[in-house]
Amino acid sequence: MAQLRVAPGGEHVLPKEPPQTGGFDFGLAARNARLAAAAGATASMPEPMSTGTTICGVVYAGGVVLGADTRATGGSEVADKNCEKIHYLAPNIYCCGAGTAADTEKTTELIASQLELLRLGTGTQSRVVAATTLLKRTLFRYQGHVSAALVLGGVDCTGPSLYQIYPHGSTARLPYVTMGSGSLAAMSVFETRYADNLDEAAAIALVKDAIRAGIFNDLGSGSNVDVTIIRTGGEATVLRGYETPNDTRPLREAYVRPKALVPVKATAVLSTQVEVTDADAMEL
Amino acid sequence: MSILQHNGAAIICMAGKNCVAIAADTRFGLQQQTVACDFEKVFKMSDRMFVGLAGLATDVQTLRNTLKFKLALYELREERVMKPEAFSALLSHMLYEKRFGPYFVEPVVCGLKDDGSPFLCGMDLIGAPVYTDDYVVSGTCTPNLNGMCESMWRPDMAPDELFETISQCLLASVDRDALSGWGAVVHVITPQGITSKSLKGRMD
Amino acid sequence: MAALAIDRMLDAGARPKEDDATNAKDILGLNVQRFALAPTPDPAQFSKDNFGVGYGTDNHQKVQFAKGTTTLAFKFDGGVIISVDSRSTMGPYIASQTVKKVIEINPFLLGTMAGGAADCAFWERNLGTQCRMFELRNKRRVSVAAASKMLANTMYQYRGRGLSMGTMVCGWDESGPQLYYVDDDGTRLKGDAFCVGSGSTYAYGVIDSHLRADLTVEEAIDLGRRAIAGAAHRDAYSGGWNNLYHMKETGWEFIGAVDTNDLYYEHVHPSHIPAPPPKPTPSNVPR
Repeated sequence: MAQLRVAPGGEHVLPKEPPQTGGFDFGLAARNARLAAAAGATASMPEPMSTGTTICGVVYAGGVVLGADTRATGGSEVADKNCEKIHYLAPNIYCCGAGTAADTEKTTELIASQLELLRLGTGTQSRVVAATTLLKRTLFRYQGHVSAALVLGGVDCTGPSLYQIYPHGSTARLPYVTMGSGSLAAMSVFETRYADNLDEAAAIALVKDAIRAGIFNDLGSGSNVDVTIIRTGGEATVLRGYETPNDTRPLREAYVRPKALVPVKATAVLSTQVEVTDADAMEL
Repeated sequence: MSILQHNGAAIICMAGKNCVAIAADTRFGLQQQTVACDFEKVFKMSDRMFVGLAGLATDVQTLRNTLKFKLALYELREERVMKPEAFSALLSHMLYEKRFGPYFVEPVVCGLKDDGSPFLCGMDLIGAPVYTDDYVVSGTCTPNLNGMCESMWRPDMAPDELFETISQCLLASVDRDALSGWGAVVHVITPQGITSKSLKGRMD
Repeated sequence: MAALAIDRMLDAGARPKEDDATNAKDILGLNVQRFALAPTPDPAQFSKDNFGVGYGTDNHQKVQFAKGTTTLAFKFDGGVIISVDSRSTMGPYIASQTVKKVIEINPFLLGTMAGGAADCAFWERNLGTQCRMFELRNKRRVSVAAASKMLANTMYQYRGRGLSMGTMVCGWDESGPQLYYVDDDGTRLKGDAFCVGSGSTYAYGVIDSHLRADLTVEEAIDLGRRAIAGAAHRDAYSGGWNNLYHMKETGWEFIGAVDTNDLYYEHVHPSHIPAPPPKPTPSNVPR
C-alpha cells in the first residue's frame, strides 16, 4: 500500500488509484449476437462447463472444515472426473466454488491475487471478511452473470468464520453451509448431525458424509471427496482425494483385459513424417 | 444446431510413457456439406507442445494466429520456450477475457513437461481448464470419443502402442459422427522428436 | 393397431359414434383417416413443434427422428435403376449405417425411404396392403400410377400434420417401367429421374451429367452407384452402404450392396494420391 500523503490543506488523502485496466472484453459479443440471430430461434448457444457440484463447510471448535465433490459436467456429460473445487485464496482462507467452472476458477484466482497484494502492502494476515467483501463486490458488479456460488471459510485474528456467497453478491455468515446442485442432500446431513463446537474428527466426518450425500444422490455431483481443514492459528491442511468411493481402478484390475486392445499396425497410414528435435536421438 | 458444431471436429490428446499424442480429423464442413478434407485444426506450438482447436473454423484460425503471435513475443522477451503449463494458463486467460463474447472454440493442449512426462489439458469455450493424466477430448462427438478412450486407454503406453490406440479411438468415434472424419492426422511427441502421420479414414 | 385403439380412447368424446363397419375397417387399418393424432387442441401445430424432422431445426426437440438420406431412381431403356444409401442419423449422431431404404412393396413395386424413417416404413407398408386389396378385388396387378396415387392421397389427407416422407414409387406395369415421386405434402410427380434427400443435389449433379436413355444395364448400374458415392462423400448425413435395385419387366432384382467408402476410392477419387505428409506448422523456436 502506498503511504498516506498529507495534502496542502493538512488533511490525509489516499493516493489516486491507478486507472483500471483489464476486465472483460466484449469485442466478439456483437458478432456472436448476429450469429445467434442468423441461426434462428432453434439454435442453442454453446454451454460452458459447469461444476454441478456439492460443496459445504462447517465451523468447529478448532477452526473450519470445507468439503467438495470433484465432478465437472458439460451438459449431461462428465467433463472432468477429478476436478479441484476447493480454491486457495490465502494461506488461512480457502473457498469452495459451484456454478460455471470458468467463473469460479477465475473469480477466486482474481481475489487470491488481490489478497496477496493486500498482504504485501499491509504486512498483515488476510481477514476472511475482507475476502468475502472483495468477492461479493466483484459478483455484484456483474449482476449474477458471473455465476459463482461460493462457500468461503478461514481463520483470522477474529477466529474461525464461514461465509456463503451467492452469484448475485449476497452473503451470509453461518456455522454450517452447503451450496451447489447437491446442497439439499448435503444440508440434510448437516441438519441431522450438526452441533456447536464439534471436535476436528467429528467435523471432518460430518463434512465427508455431507459431500457423500451429494455424490450419491445428486446427478450433478460425483467422484471423490476433497476436504480442507483450516485450524485456529491459520494453518491449513488440504486433503485432496480425502475419500475416493468411486475409484474404478480396482474394478478394472479385477477384470483381466488383454495388455493391449489394439494390435500394432491396425491403422491404415497414408503418409508419415518424422521430425527429429533432439539431434542426438537416432532411434527415430 | 450449436455454433460449435457448424464446421465439425474431433480431437483427442492422449498420454503414454514419456510421450503424448494428439489426433484430429480433417473435415471442414458447413453444416451437412463437406467442403474440404484437409483442414488443419491441430497446431504445433513448440517442439514439445501442440494445441488442438475444435469449434468454429474462423475462430480456430484467429486463435491460432493470436497464440502464435503471443508465443513468438514470449520467446523473444524471455529467450526461452514456453512450457505447456504456462501456455495452457495463457490460453485459459485469453478465453476467459472474452467471458461474455467468447470464441466458439474448445481447445486441448498436449505436450511434454521439463522432466519429459506428459502434460494434458482441455478447456471449455470460456477457458475453464481440465487437467488430466490420461486423455482429453474435444469436438462434435465427445460422447463417442470419451467412450472409446475410456475403454482403450491404459497406463504407460509406448509411442507405437499410443499411436495405434489414439488412431483407433479417433477413427471409431468419427465413424459414428456425421460432422467429423474424412481423414485424420496424428502427431506423437517424444523427447527425441515428433512423428506425424496422416490416416486413411472413411470418406462418407 | 395399438395406436388405433389408443386413438379411440383419446378422442372418443370428440367424434360422432361410428358404426360397426367403420370400426371393422379401422381394425384392418384401411380407414387411414382414423390414424392417431395428438390429443391437443391443435394436433398439427403440436406435431410441428415436437415431431419436426427438418435438418438442424429439431435440436430443441426431446425426440429426434432417424433421418438423412440420399436416394435416387431413374428410367432408361432397360427399366428403372433404384439406388440408395443406408445411413440413418439422429442429430449429428450416426444411428445406423445399415438401413434398408428401399421398401419392397411387392415383386413389381418398390418404394424408397427419405425423411422420417418410421413414416416411410409405415405408410409404404400401408400402401402394400392397399395394393394387395386392389389385386384381390380386381383380379389384376395395380398400375404404378394407381399405387402412387393411393399413397399421394393418404399424404394429402395428413397434409400439415407433421408427417415427413419423400419417396419414389417405382414399378413395372402394363405400360412399361414407371417412376413417380410422392411426398408428405401430397405432391405426386411422374418423371424420368428423381433424387430425394439431404444429398440429392450432389446426386442430381452426377445423374444429370451422364443419364441417357440408351445406357446399357451395366452402365446404368454404374451411374446409380457413382451418384450415391458422390453424395455420400459430400453430404454428412448420407453414407454407409449403397443398395441398388433394377426394375425389369419380370419385376425388381436386387443387384447388391457396396460400401460407399469403397465406391469413393473407386469412382470419386480413383487415383487417390496419399495426402502430402502433414507438415506441422513450423515452430517459433529458430533452430
